[in-house]
Amino acid sequence: MADTARLEGFLKSQRSLARRPLRIAVGAGVGAGLLTIVQAWLVASILADVLFGKADLAAVSDRLVLLPPVFLARAVLAYVGETAAVAAGAEVRRGLRARLLDHVLALGPARLAGHDTGALATTVTDGVDAVQSYYARYLPAAALTATVPVAMLAAVVPYDWLAALVFVVTAPLIPVFMILIGAGAEKLSQRQWSALVRMSGHLLDVIQGLTTLKLFDAGRREAEVVSAMAEGYRRDTMAVLRLAFLSSLALEFLATVSIAMVAVLVGFRLLWGDLAFFNGMFVLLLAPELYAPLRALGTHYHARMEAIGAAGELVELLATTAPVRDGDRRRPGTAGPPRIRFDDVSVAFPDGRTGLTGLSFDVAPGERIALVGPSGAGKTTVLGLVSGFLAPTAGCILVDGVPLEELDALAWRRRIAALPQRPHIFRASVEENIAMTDGTRDDAGAVRESVTVAARNARAYDLVARLPQGFDTLIGDGGAGLSGGEAQRVALARAFHRDPAVVLLDEPTAHLDRATEAALTGAIDCLLAGRTSLTIAHRLETVRAADRILVLDGGRLVATGRHDELVAAGGLYARLAGGEAGRAAAGGAR
Amino acid sequence: MSDILRLLALMGRNRGAMALAVLLALVATLSGILLMAVSGWFIASMALAGAAGATMNYFTPGAIIRALAIARTAGRYGERVSSHEATFRVLAGLRRWFYDALEPLAPARLAGAASGDVLARIRNDIERLELVFLRLLSPVVVAVLATTVVTAVLALYDGAVALCVLLLLLAAGAALPCWAARSGASPSRDQQAVTAGMKELLVDRFDGLADLKLAGLETALTARLAALDDRQLAAEARLARLQGLSLAGVGLAANLSALAVLVLAIPLVTSARLAPAELPMLVLLAVASFDAVAPLPLAAQSLAGTLASARRLFALVDQPAAVTDPPRPVPMPAASDLVFADVSFRYRADGPLVLSALDLDLRERRRIALVGETGAGKSSVAHLAMRFWNPCVGEIRLGGVSVDRLPLDACRRRIAVAPQHPHLFAATVRDNLRLGRPEATDAEIEAAARAAQIHDVVSAMPKGYATFVGARGHLLSGGEARRLSVARALLKDAPILILDEPTEGLDAETAARLMEGVLVAARDRSILLVTHRPAGLDAMDEIVVLEGGRVADRGRFRDLSRAGGPLAAFHSRLGDRPDPT
Repeated sequence: MADTARLEGFLKSQRSLARRPLRIAVGAGVGAGLLTIVQAWLVASILADVLFGKADLAAVSDRLVLLPPVFLARAVLAYVGETAAVAAGAEVRRGLRARLLDHVLALGPARLAGHDTGALATTVTDGVDAVQSYYARYLPAAALTATVPVAMLAAVVPYDWLAALVFVVTAPLIPVFMILIGAGAEKLSQRQWSALVRMSGHLLDVIQGLTTLKLFDAGRREAEVVSAMAEGYRRDTMAVLRLAFLSSLALEFLATVSIAMVAVLVGFRLLWGDLAFFNGMFVLLLAPELYAPLRALGTHYHARMEAIGAAGELVELLATTAPVRDGDRRRPGTAGPPRIRFDDVSVAFPDGRTGLTGLSFDVAPGERIALVGPSGAGKTTVLGLVSGFLAPTAGCILVDGVPLEELDALAWRRRIAALPQRPHIFRASVEENIAMTDGTRDDAGAVRESVTVAARNARAYDLVARLPQGFDTLIGDGGAGLSGGEAQRVALARAFHRDPAVVLLDEPTAHLDRATEAALTGAIDCLLAGRTSLTIAHRLETVRAADRILVLDGGRLVATGRHDELVAAGGLYARLAGGEAGRAAAGGAR
Repeated sequence: MSDILRLLALMGRNRGAMALAVLLALVATLSGILLMAVSGWFIASMALAGAAGATMNYFTPGAIIRALAIARTAGRYGERVSSHEATFRVLAGLRRWFYDALEPLAPARLAGAASGDVLARIRNDIERLELVFLRLLSPVVVAVLATTVVTAVLALYDGAVALCVLLLLLAAGAALPCWAARSGASPSRDQQAVTAGMKELLVDRFDGLADLKLAGLETALTARLAALDDRQLAAEARLARLQGLSLAGVGLAANLSALAVLVLAIPLVTSARLAPAELPMLVLLAVASFDAVAPLPLAAQSLAGTLASARRLFALVDQPAAVTDPPRPVPMPAASDLVFADVSFRYRADGPLVLSALDLDLRERRRIALVGETGAGKSSVAHLAMRFWNPCVGEIRLGGVSVDRLPLDACRRRIAVAPQHPHLFAATVRDNLRLGRPEATDAEIEAAARAAQIHDVVSAMPKGYATFVGARGHLLSGGEARRLSVARALLKDAPILILDEPTEGLDAETAARLMEGVLVAARDRSILLVTHRPAGLDAMDEIVVLEGGRVADRGRFRDLSRAGGPLAAFHSRLGDRPDPT
């Protein structure tokens, strides 16, 4: 867990996002405080005249008529202060949320593969929301504590120095007590937040895997886990709240005792005739108001704790460094299918796994490369490197002679289409999933046209036509269910729609039966024509269509060549191709 | 209204603690009000006695003031602890309640729900219900009782004063909240909707981060989130303005009450119908009584959002499950023969038939393969066998008994499934496998992993079986995830094994070895193999070829491949001979 000072420093540094509304909130609070003094003076003076000056209503009406404007001004200031305080929190949240999202996007899929989606989404949503009160409540309250009681004290001194002395002695005790009791609260709050984030991550995992749980008769067992997590979160929350309430209790007690002391001092001197009634009443009316900002600070101290707790998760996410910062790369690339060169590339993962060791190869513009190798050979790592989601720990990748890390990442990725084994179908319409515009284009007619062409190219048109609303059907998480093969074809249409220069495929026909595959092979041929491509291949047709095959094993390149050459050479490739390749070779010879 | 009653019923699980919290809140609030009043009277009396040179008994009022101060402070603390304790206990219970209702709905009734949205319900919507008790129920009860007491006390001194203060209290505690509830309805509902929308958006996009980045949609996502944020902040700004107005309104009402008491009571003092010391007492009593109604407008303005949250929970919870336990289940038969008799099935009433008139006879230890093209309805067979859906026509029998007369859980325990889209949990390899059999020993786990050809891969990982697989198993390749799923199904001690495309994404050698290993490991079980690949087909007792949900052909591998029928055509495409295209 990060230490409190660092987290509070982080929170304070975000204050600059909301300087203006914070100033307004504090200004309104100070103004309302000053008006409270005026109001107390007016009321005390009216009471004094009525009780001791035997004044009737008319005699005090000069001050009575002053009261409504004061009330109204206080109401206006209360309104201004409240809205400004909330606006301050809102500004910070908006800025912080955008920054977190940028960071998540910069980290990219490879760096975040270990993170729970649910935990991540919770940090970006609820985690950011939780800092709201720090700016809307705690900071204004802290600023008011330092000003309003001082002004009230100054007003009290001329009328009753003894009461003023009591204020001077007791008021500073309140923040001291607050800090003493609050010590360690931040740790509890951090624990509460990590419990919440963990719970959210787990709940999403359970929701997404509920069917699998039921397959294994674990749906009910999981209820106990959910129950235990909810219970643990409740305990952590209550531990934080108990402490917050305890500190409130101490503050209220202190404030009450102090006010009582003032009351006793005033009361007896009134009885002995040592103090004028006006003075006593004025001091007594102001006493609760003087402690009010301090008590408010105590109440909002909890907001500070909560913000610090949430900040732990935010800071931790922001501290995860991106492998390559997209924005740092500026060089524009060339046009057309590029030459891609791996020069002695090695990748070691943070968890100790070795991805690749000293890999060197060269892909000519427009060449079709097939990557073959057993599970864990590093095939996926090669594709991750080309898309820029991973950075080599040693060696260099050159695109048309330019190091990949110097290329403008966004421009480079715009030239790539990738078709993974498990493409993500977004919760959106079929059209959005193929065009991948995410609402950024408004020429609906043109989009529909190009999407239709792409779907036809990917042999996905018939399947779309069968869906209830055609291209407008909602698919993805919670949408119309697609089988693995159907999802693959939508993703293939997506690739066609991009008109890429580089194509990265991960066994594109794995989910398809042979009839569909036959149709698709032609489509994929079209897609690959005139484009540089790297394909992870398990199947014979895929491999045979390649210009060259790279055989990987344990992160190293063990052989390279065409299908027939590699089969003839025996070794790992011949074994991997196994029955299929053997039969095919025999069939071909027949 | 019925939603509110239902919420209160849910809250009622902790009735005792809640009643105690309300009582303590009432004590604290009334003590605070009386403290101010008595103090005002005491000071004035002391001053008057001093001015008159009289003596007075200051012990009794002093003791009362001390008692009230203690009651207020302690009561507030006790109220806070007990109300939060009770509320959070209820909320923790509600999470369990929601999950228990959710579980039977998967997968049939959850097909239309985005997972991020369901997460928002169990996480944020349930949390929002805390407002019902903490900010609504208890404050309303306290405000009503405190208003009654204060008005009664004031009426003892003067009817007009009492009436005036009562009217102002009603303005601040009833009219203002009603107005806040109406004006706050739309922004608070908006706020609730955006909270859920944000979760839904981010979960979906983070799950597909790679595809999103490859499509260059970073700025589009940033814009979408910013738009949601703007909507959220606009709603909150509206609520803040309301809150500011409420705050100002309650303060104004309190101050006006002071003015009203002064204006009405000063003549009473002048005409000696009211003791002078009672004037400050009444003023302070009136002003302090507004503490009791101050929380109400704020609670009222978020009421609509809270109810929207409640309705979202109820909407999911109230759905009937697709398949339920029979009211009086018959005991499970000893045998595990699984029979599909003339089964037809469609997922939606308006959808196409995915299976029509299917007959399957998976007797104990029999092995059947279902082959056919994508979308031929093969996977639906597993869904029906697991009783996630009911067939539209026909009957499924287990051990000779129609499954809809058997208990659901017991039926499901008879079948192990490695599904087409396996879900791996964000846990270790071992934990994911142990889902199949929680009490499995390491040796059993390893044996299953060996059969599924994943043991060597796992052993080569730095932490072996303790390796974390990442969210949704994303740290593993598709082929690895699939093999883990097969191993997990093998671990489940069920007499029937359904494998849906177990060799997808595997190279030919591994695919062949996996089928071999599985057939040995499951030699005592019946197997239903759903596939479009050749591996393992020759070991099957029967092959059923599906085309468009209908049985196009069936028989033994040898017979079918010779016959020149659908399997032969299909089979030729499986790679036995080079593809003619």
